[in-house]
Amino acid sequence: MAEPGRALPVPTPETKHFWEGTAAGELRLQRCDSCGKNYFPPKPFCATCGSRKVSVFKASGKAVLWSYVIHHRPVPGFKPPYAIAVVQLAEGPRMMSNIVECEQTPEALQLDMDLEVVFEKQNDTITLPVFRPAKG
Amino acid sequence: MWENRCKIVVSGVGYSKVSRMADIPLAAHALEAVKGAVADSGLEMSDIDGLATYPELPATGHAEIDGISVVSVNCMMAMLKLPNLTWHIQVGTTNIGGAVQQATNALLAGVCKYAVVWRAMHNPRGTYQNLPGAQAAGATQFTAPYGFGGPGQGMAVAYTRWLEKNNQTRDKMATLAVTQRKHTQHNPHAYFHGTPLTREDYFASRMVAHPFCLFDCDIPVQGAVAIVLTTADRGRDLKPKPAYLAGYGQRLHFETAGRIGSLSSYMEGGSSSAKLTWERSGFTPKDVDVAQIYDGFSASVIYGLESYGFCKEGEALDFIQDGRIELDGDLPLNTFGGSLGTGRIHGLWHIIEGALQASGRAGSRQVKDANVSFVGASAPIVTGTTFIFVSEPY
Repeated sequence: MAEPGRALPVPTPETKHFWEGTAAGELRLQRCDSCGKNYFPPKPFCATCGSRKVSVFKASGKAVLWSYVIHHRPVPGFKPPYAIAVVQLAEGPRMMSNIVECEQTPEALQLDMDLEVVFEKQNDTITLPVFRPAKG
Repeated sequence: MWENRCKIVVSGVGYSKVSRMADIPLAAHALEAVKGAVADSGLEMSDIDGLATYPELPATGHAEIDGISVVSVNCMMAMLKLPNLTWHIQVGTTNIGGAVQQATNALLAGVCKYAVVWRAMHNPRGTYQNLPGAQAAGATQFTAPYGFGGPGQGMAVAYTRWLEKNNQTRDKMATLAVTQRKHTQHNPHAYFHGTPLTREDYFASRMVAHPFCLFDCDIPVQGAVAIVLTTADRGRDLKPKPAYLAGYGQRLHFETAGRIGSLSSYMEGGSSSAKLTWERSGFTPKDVDVAQIYDGFSASVIYGLESYGFCKEGEALDFIQDGRIELDGDLPLNTFGGSLGTGRIHGLWHIIEGALQASGRAGSRQVKDANVSFVGASAPIVTGTTFIFVSEPY
């Protein structure tokens, strides 16, 4: 029997646009048309002002490393130690992710380093956004 | 100042045996702690007319079974069959500190006379933070696919940022772990009573979630603690010297993206709750003789010390050095050993210790002249509650 893989998201009506976006190679965020705030995770109302006038837009995929933890306990689909990162997107919101193409050590994981999104296809419906050190 | 300051007291306290794994159902632990607290007060069980708890199991991926992995108010009512019960609640937010505050409000409102609050904690078999398997539904769809499972990781994310931002290293945290374990040796109810910890042990221990090593995390245990709260006029007539509640505060501060370790959430949650407590009691951090600050994970103490105002932001790891948090230091801290010493029972034990210190009942760990006793009963994010107990009304 194959080793169990990492937990994969189950899209809901509120989050469908996000996962359709990653499958199409786009990082989609939402913006409140009333107060102007960009936000994540997806929801059909603005958590800051309560407005239901919200829209979806394509983000740049640029981010910086806000912080991380290097996990040493076994988790299905991961080979410890691995870093769980929180990235600060150029558009404002923070997002949890993994950092790829980078050693999973405190020396390599420099806070505020420039990152860019990479899309990792998991199956026909799910593609995960992860981040790597920005090139150039 | 708060018009109700010193009108409510903590009277008796009680403990169950604390063990690593469940050898008896959690309901039996809770019952033992509740009976202990009532007996310590010198009351009969039939005197108890109020019940409150926070029954959550903080582990991921385990069933909540009443009496086995949680002990609800319903479960306790059925066991005690209190003939004079007039009030009960179980809170859904603010953790166990919120249950103590609700009991305070009920006593002030006159809807009960003697309230018991307990916290019972289960240690499930298998992995504590058991990720939800192949499917990450709901809010976990943006966390679990990246290998994120629990609040400890979120706290470690904030700790990484705090260390970097303030040019600090985790080495200084050894002082907290070692000092609290020293305090633990004065607390016979604690899980680590009889097990000392050295700096060498701390540095040699394995990493759990860097920058947290094993001794930055409280050990999951099975056990319960309980207290009796009553009004000051009734409490004065009971067996133990009462601890007077001078003020309390609470503040939730959820991150919209979940518990992903925002430093500002810790700071804003903690400072908002503490501000209410300082204003209501009339005290300032400088007036505090002894402090208990929730330490489910060591970094929570940093966020507490800074957001409550005991030191400036970025200075907490320097603040705890040079004997300051020893029993004879300037700010004796987590004098019962903290959760790092007792095992994971959440903040009711911090409240118990705050009350025992204020009433002079802390035995060999009693801090001299502990007249103003501060408690931060939970991490200052998501569930922040704070308290001040005093030895005499003022």
